[in-house]
Amino acid sequence: MISVNTREQPWRDGLNVQALLDEMGYVFRHIIVRVNGEYVPEEAYARRLIADGDDVQVLHLIAGG
Amino acid sequence: MQPGRYLRNMLAISPGEQERLAGCRALLAGCGGLGGFVLEYLGRLGVGNLRAVDPDSFSEGNLNRQLLSSSMNLGRPKALAAVQRMQAVNPLARVEGVQALLTEENAAQLLEGCQVALDCLDSIPARRTLQKACARAGVPLVHGAIGGWLGQVCVVLPGENLLDQVYPDADAEHGEEYEQGALAFTAGMTAAVQAAEAVKLLLGKPGLRGELLVLDLLNGSFERLRLAKG
Repeated sequence: MISVNTREQPWRDGLNVQALLDEMGYVFRHIIVRVNGEYVPEEAYARRLIADGDDVQVLHLIAGG
Repeated sequence: MQPGRYLRNMLAISPGEQERLAGCRALLAGCGGLGGFVLEYLGRLGVGNLRAVDPDSFSEGNLNRQLLSSSMNLGRPKALAAVQRMQAVNPLARVEGVQALLTEENAAQLLEGCQVALDCLDSIPARRTLQKACARAGVPLVHGAIGGWLGQVCVVLPGENLLDQVYPDADAEHGEEYEQGALAFTAGMTAAVQAAEAVKLLLGKPGLRGELLVLDLLNGSFERLRLAKG
């Protein structure tokens, strides 16, 4: 299992950030991803693998007032 | 003896706390969707001095969500509307309206005498400028932002630089709100949390620390996410 924000999610071998975002329905263009506290830039989503037990944080980038 | 207008603040706010709030000053950076509601909540509650800063005037596109806007004041400055609104609602809350862009040059002056600042701005660079100025001035900052059905709030104590975690891309100016729009209830809800956190800071009560509160009004969920201090 992995943790995504405050929720537990199933993990599988080979899971990367892009696949996780797709599977969880994160479709907005502006997203901030951290794995175990480390910021993952958008261009690295497809190659950044997620390990079992990782702590993933996904934020929507919003800045409206 | 408290004015009758504050009777229903009791005892959630004690008489002593009410008096303290009357002597406080808050910087309200931005008088748009968030800022209008924050002004309403803090002013009605009895925060005695509010410095409301915004360079803009109202346009038709503001009417869906900005409390201070009306069909009657299109084209008029938002900072002036903040003053007029609180004169009508609660003259005991004195509003200093400043029609200006918050910049590195004027931020320190705008923060002078303030015990708390509220980030109700609409651009990432301006938010960074405010965070930096608050750190220098030793003033806690209550950040709020909205986009579509989503809102977020965090409290940034001087030097924590939590906004660097929320906005890690140094080049970004705007976020999802350009695609998702901005809704009145998202602004009102997010502003309510900001106002509550600001009042808790002013009264020395514990509150949101080191976390981003994310409000998802479409899914009806609130999440508190850890932020690393920088």
